[in-house]
Amino acid sequence: MNVAAKTYQKGEIPGVIAIKASACKGCDACKRHCPTGAITGSFGATHSVDVDSCLSCGQCLINCPFGAPYETSDTVDEVIARLKDRNTTVVGIIAPAVRVAIGEDFGLPAGSLVTGKLYGSMKKAGFEILDNNFAADLTIMEEGTEFIVRARHAVFGEKSEHGAEIGPLPQFTSCCPAWVRLVETKYPTLIPNLSSAKSPQQMAGTVAKTYGTKVWGKSAEKIYTVGIMPCTAKKLEASRPEFNNAYEYNKKNGRALTDKPYPDIDTVLTTRDLSRLFKKLKINLAAEKDADGGSLLADYTGAGTIFGNTGGVMEAALRTAYAVLTGEELKPLEFKPVRGLKGVKSASVKLKDTKYNKEVTVNVAVIHNIAENIKPVIDEVLSGRSPYHFIEVMNCPGGCINGGGQPIYGNGSSWLGAIRPLFAWK
Amino acid sequence: MISQKTILKHPLSVRIFHYLLILSFLPLAVTGVFLYFKPLSESAMNLTMQIHVVAGVVLTLDAIAFFLIGFNRVVLFLKRIFYFSINDIKWFAILGGYPQKILLRKKVVVPSMGKYNSGQKLFGICVLIGGTILIFTGWILWALPHLMPREAVSLLGTLHTFFAWVLTLFLLVHLFLGIYMFDDFKAMILHGKIPYDEAKEMAPLWVEKEIISISENSY
Amino acid sequence: MEKQSYQYIENPLHVTRREFITIGGIVAAFLALPAVWIKMVTSSNNNYILARTKGLYRDDEKASIRVSHANKSVARYYKEFGGEPLGHLSHELLHTKYINRTKGLS
Repeated sequence: MNVAAKTYQKGEIPGVIAIKASACKGCDACKRHCPTGAITGSFGATHSVDVDSCLSCGQCLINCPFGAPYETSDTVDEVIARLKDRNTTVVGIIAPAVRVAIGEDFGLPAGSLVTGKLYGSMKKAGFEILDNNFAADLTIMEEGTEFIVRARHAVFGEKSEHGAEIGPLPQFTSCCPAWVRLVETKYPTLIPNLSSAKSPQQMAGTVAKTYGTKVWGKSAEKIYTVGIMPCTAKKLEASRPEFNNAYEYNKKNGRALTDKPYPDIDTVLTTRDLSRLFKKLKINLAAEKDADGGSLLADYTGAGTIFGNTGGVMEAALRTAYAVLTGEELKPLEFKPVRGLKGVKSASVKLKDTKYNKEVTVNVAVIHNIAENIKPVIDEVLSGRSPYHFIEVMNCPGGCINGGGQPIYGNGSSWLGAIRPLFAWK
Repeated sequence: MISQKTILKHPLSVRIFHYLLILSFLPLAVTGVFLYFKPLSESAMNLTMQIHVVAGVVLTLDAIAFFLIGFNRVVLFLKRIFYFSINDIKWFAILGGYPQKILLRKKVVVPSMGKYNSGQKLFGICVLIGGTILIFTGWILWALPHLMPREAVSLLGTLHTFFAWVLTLFLLVHLFLGIYMFDDFKAMILHGKIPYDEAKEMAPLWVEKEIISISENSY
Repeated sequence: MEKQSYQYIENPLHVTRREFITIGGIVAAFLALPAVWIKMVTSSNNNYILARTKGLYRDDEKASIRVSHANKSVARYYKEFGGEPLGHLSHELLHTKYINRTKGLS
């Protein structure tokens, strides 16, 4: 079926989203939510997914009124088998957006914050917890520092301490795998602008199988990492073959027990998948008692948790970059201009770089719902006229909280644009 | 005793409305069935959908135009189809005598009916409610499926399919009986007139209560 | 052609004014309902996105520490294992390279 896939490396899931022909009514609703026009099939005929254009973002899946798109990768039963295996430490890596959405699958109102109940349910199911918010904090340390290095290089001509190549401005965030894939498949000249920092999920996987071996006292081979994500594209991201840094590191340092390579993230469950897993194990999240994370890898800050909102990565990065550059905390911490559902949000921050004792202005932009909003911003960057230094991009409307792996909220739609009819024809 | 007197049953406005209805609903029903089973190639399915959409627009405009131009007739129609009496139950008990007449060639006594008999009233109610729902859901499914709530669109899709089947099946019955009652067929398709005696037999209450002679009226 | 080819018509006064207004009013109300309904559901379309957004901002507000560089466990990670941000081990473990995927396409 996917023999023609030309934009995937060996070992990658060639497209997480497919369309069930029997359920498709050919109504074209999905095409309006697709960021890349990857859905083929004329109006009235059954649709299918062009895997080479597809970002695996899953917006078609959560917005199809007839439930035609589905995920090609489903590992719920595999994870249950691992949970039952006493020799394996199954580490659940919970993304920020999961905790405000999974309650919906257990009858709680939309937006219920259920971190404690989620921890409790996961422990009951047999997971160790690595909160991805911890990895988000780690991402901010890496990505924020990277931005400071890039900015000082661009403004003051500072050289890298490590002799590494310093990427150009504007720096794009790299947390969103759909966005990364859009750059890789459509705008390869922008690859240097992408932050080289891995996404929180991949950092978490690497940390779990390196530093985590100390935390849980298990060898990396016995640790099974499960990304629990609001996102279908994360399934594709986890399958990228280069993401086995923990194995490479352990092998190099003589800590690999066998020659069998293992990925940083063994598998990914979406929020919906996790709900199904709980239901199969007869765990009712809504009735579960609150629990805490149980290890230092579950510690997180407010900056890590807002990663799930559009503008959240930028706000978290600004809080840290501001403190590093000026030596003072940002006041107030809430950076309102990057919040909300406006398509392209931009802001300027004036601050004093204490190292050079100079006033600098940082222009930032936040883009979500790339189906509608990415084009003009990318064109500006490609033509070299972009006023921005740091740009956060998230594929889904509203950010990860409305990701393709989230519970499908029946009484709503991802459409953020003007209320206008579109008359499908071809 | 055969007289040549006739009654104007379907004025020109009604006939034009009905012509456009034939022109739009027949293609809609046929393409609808194709869209349901999806048997054709991609481009043929696309063409099918395009015909469905164009016919749907014609149907909508037809309905709106008739509503605006012939609103008094719409009201009259509503009053008739929603007026029930004990006769309707009796009528349904023997199905209007049609099975006996068609299958057994036997004539039974049928309760007196108004302009529409009970079966036609039921058909009228289904066409009115079903047609309105089909038009309404059809437009949303065509133009707004991306911004309406997912479950709402899904529900509208189910309603559209359900009423489409109801009306398509009713259409078959209507086509058969419409042609079988040949005087009525000529009245609707050609000149609008129906023989006075025929009407008196088929719709005695209508002739008795609602029909007036032109001479009485105009002179 | 004869002026009138038919002799009878329906009595145009068969509907009284009162009936006309009542039935017409009910019809108009029924036609207005869908319009109101569409307006209602489309305006509350994105409420679930706003609710989830609010949920995460609430998680931020109630957090005792709200900036990444003050996360004690992250600091401990760098101290015990990772070195420093953008350091040697970070490059090896926490950073990556991207692939130009347009080469496979002609």
